[in-house]
Amino acid sequence: MIELRNVTKKFGSFTAVDNISLVVPPGEFFGFLGPNGAGKTTTIKMMTGLFSPTSGEILINGFDVVKEPMKAKSYTSYVPDQPFLYDKLTGREFLYFIGGLYKMEKKAIASKIEEVIEHFEIGDWVDKRTEDYSQGMRQRVTIAAALVHEPKVFIIDEPMVGLDPKSSKIVRETLRMMARQGASIFMSTHSLPIAEELCDRIGFVKDGRLVFLGTQENLQAYKQKYDGKFESVFLELTK
Amino acid sequence: MAIFFHILKYKFLSFMKSTFDRRMVSAVRGLGSLVVFGGFAVVAYLLAFGVTKFVLEQTRISLFVYHRFISMMLFVLFVSVNMGNIIVSYATLYKSSEVGYLFTKPVSFMQIFLLKFLDNFLYSSTTFFLMVFMALLGYGAYFGYAWYTLLAVMLFVLLPYLFLSACVAVLILMSLMKAASKLGFRKVVGGLAVLYIAVVVLFFQVSNPITLVQKTQGMDLNADGYLKVLDSGLLSNLPNAWASDVLFFIARGNSALAVTHAVQLLLVTIAMFAVVLFVAHRFYYRSWLVTFEFQARSNTVQSGRRLKLFDFRKKSFLSPQMESLLKKEYFQFFRDASQWIHLAVMAVLVAAFALSVGNVNLRLRVTTIQTIGYLVLYAFGGFLSCSLALRFIFPAISIEGNSFWSQLSAPLNRKKPFFVKFAIGFLLVLVPALLVAVFSNAPFVRTFEQRPLLMYFGIFSAFWVSLTLVSLNLGLGGYFANYKEKNPIRLASSQGATLTFLMSLVYLISLVSIVIIPMTEYFQSLFLFFPFEMSTIVAPATTIYMLSASLSAFALVVGLRSLQRDF
Repeated sequence: MIELRNVTKKFGSFTAVDNISLVVPPGEFFGFLGPNGAGKTTTIKMMTGLFSPTSGEILINGFDVVKEPMKAKSYTSYVPDQPFLYDKLTGREFLYFIGGLYKMEKKAIASKIEEVIEHFEIGDWVDKRTEDYSQGMRQRVTIAAALVHEPKVFIIDEPMVGLDPKSSKIVRETLRMMARQGASIFMSTHSLPIAEELCDRIGFVKDGRLVFLGTQENLQAYKQKYDGKFESVFLELTK
Repeated sequence: MAIFFHILKYKFLSFMKSTFDRRMVSAVRGLGSLVVFGGFAVVAYLLAFGVTKFVLEQTRISLFVYHRFISMMLFVLFVSVNMGNIIVSYATLYKSSEVGYLFTKPVSFMQIFLLKFLDNFLYSSTTFFLMVFMALLGYGAYFGYAWYTLLAVMLFVLLPYLFLSACVAVLILMSLMKAASKLGFRKVVGGLAVLYIAVVVLFFQVSNPITLVQKTQGMDLNADGYLKVLDSGLLSNLPNAWASDVLFFIARGNSALAVTHAVQLLLVTIAMFAVVLFVAHRFYYRSWLVTFEFQARSNTVQSGRRLKLFDFRKKSFLSPQMESLLKKEYFQFFRDASQWIHLAVMAVLVAAFALSVGNVNLRLRVTTIQTIGYLVLYAFGGFLSCSLALRFIFPAISIEGNSFWSQLSAPLNRKKPFFVKFAIGFLLVLVPALLVAVFSNAPFVRTFEQRPLLMYFGIFSAFWVSLTLVSLNLGLGGYFANYKEKNPIRLASSQGATLTFLMSLVYLISLVSIVIIPMTEYFQSLFLFFPFEMSTIVAPATTIYMLSASLSAFALVVGLRSLQRDF
């Protein structure tokens, strides 16, 4: 479960995230939408411990990310908006590296790696150095790495960027499956069709503030106020 | 050339904005840098003035021999700039994403070459320029030269001299790339390293300062004479000899000969630059393409069956986190050519130095000479550790780059990656430091001592110097971390790195000043046969310990705190 309580992040006098509160229970797929610079990535970075909040609390499965970071992070998997990998490692080495950071046994890592290699169809590339990978291949390896330790909370920033249709389908199915298995999924995206297809609930953020929070049903009702298109809702909310 | 200046303009704007931004923290850093740089400039000035005065007035080795010493120092400067430029040029001319990006634009590859070549030269040699200029001012102040004379020497002698070194560097690099495309990268780099070291060793074999002084013994030295008879053939025709001859003839008031030598140096530099442009025109783009072949060859699929050393699939007695961090460091280092090649070259240089100094025959039982000799070796050992720490430890946190998210978002205590880097760095600096300490103390112990007191002191110092320099470089490397820069060489020559280097030098100078008096007393006791009080050496050892421990603790705290910052 993910819980944000009055979370604020300021950079000097600029408020990037302004008093956001929300809960993502286990098994829910939550979509976090907003225009560029709205505060989506900053929120995600606070949830994963890459930024510290100026005020407020973030709880992952009941553990405060700031006060008990090791416990909170042990449940979390994060996929950043840019799939940065260590250039000099191969894909397989990177997967072992991540497994090690999550304190997994060697056998468990090896079997999980074989599983994700097959699932993401990266067998032809996994033993080459990642500096040779295309953007899509990097993205696949990054998502595969996020699955190695079977997280309970999955935080993913713009997951479909750079993926071909086939990879995109694999990722969508994987995320759906994880939600069905009880993981909390927090996904930031620009893609309205993907949010509409995958998410149980959606939050719109603008200028750091949460301006809409509701289920697909709430959103459908909201859409009827306009021309029935999700895009119009997005443009209206983020105007 | 309009495009060239257009790109240059935006590079300059970008540099100015990143250097002089208006944030408070940048202002404080800038002020700190200014104070340290200013301090160092003053030290370089005073040192050059003091050494010139001491050598010419106290030792009376003649103006010519003094300028031959300057020539040797200029040779060392040439080699330093040359080596720095070979390595930096490889990273910027061949591996930089900026070059790849510019190649997709309608910009001629010669303009790209010129841009990056000048960028390298200015970026990697700025500190040298400042120090050389201040040393020149100190030297000139002794002779009472006018400011315009010194400015002319800097602009028309020393800058062309450094530029010549950069030209030779890029020529070596392009030849290396061409040869490597046929013979293989590792073989050519290995061959070049051996050849390079052979040239340096040969130079000092032929123009040994001790031999030069010995040659002058018994000669009727004319204080101002041009003693060409002392020169060793070809070596007097090298650019470092021309540059020092310019200074020599200015000192003698013979401006015609000074100008002749300066013109000679300028013409050779211009000719070499023309050769560089010609070779680049013929070969730069093609050699740039060759680097992709190297990369493709080195990145071929690994065998899935045979497990290599440090393979992630191998079982380990370490904890999973520790194993992951150590193996990542290993692969990251040894798969980056600019890292392991530089380390290999430095290791061979350390070994060559240790072996040659270990065989030095000390005969003179003169306190001043032996104390100075000891202090020079002591300082040199420290300087070596300082260079190693700057080059390999300072960039250690920054080169995690944007991929650092994978560690920072994992359930991993941030102290762990920091201390893994610390342990590796400490080992990397300590081993050569101990080697140098043992070999440089060996002649003293062999010649003068009943018990190896100097050896114990050398090992003690090497331990604390290594610990402090690694802490300083890792800690401040974290404080000045730049995760966007992937090139470790550029990181090691950034503003933060220079500041750290200067702080390390201040620390080393402090250590040398701490040991001057005890060492003088120690050699006095040896040569004048009176008992040596152990407390004389315990007091400086305690001071070194306290200074080093507190500086290390401070730097480590700064480094650890920097890891808590927003990523």
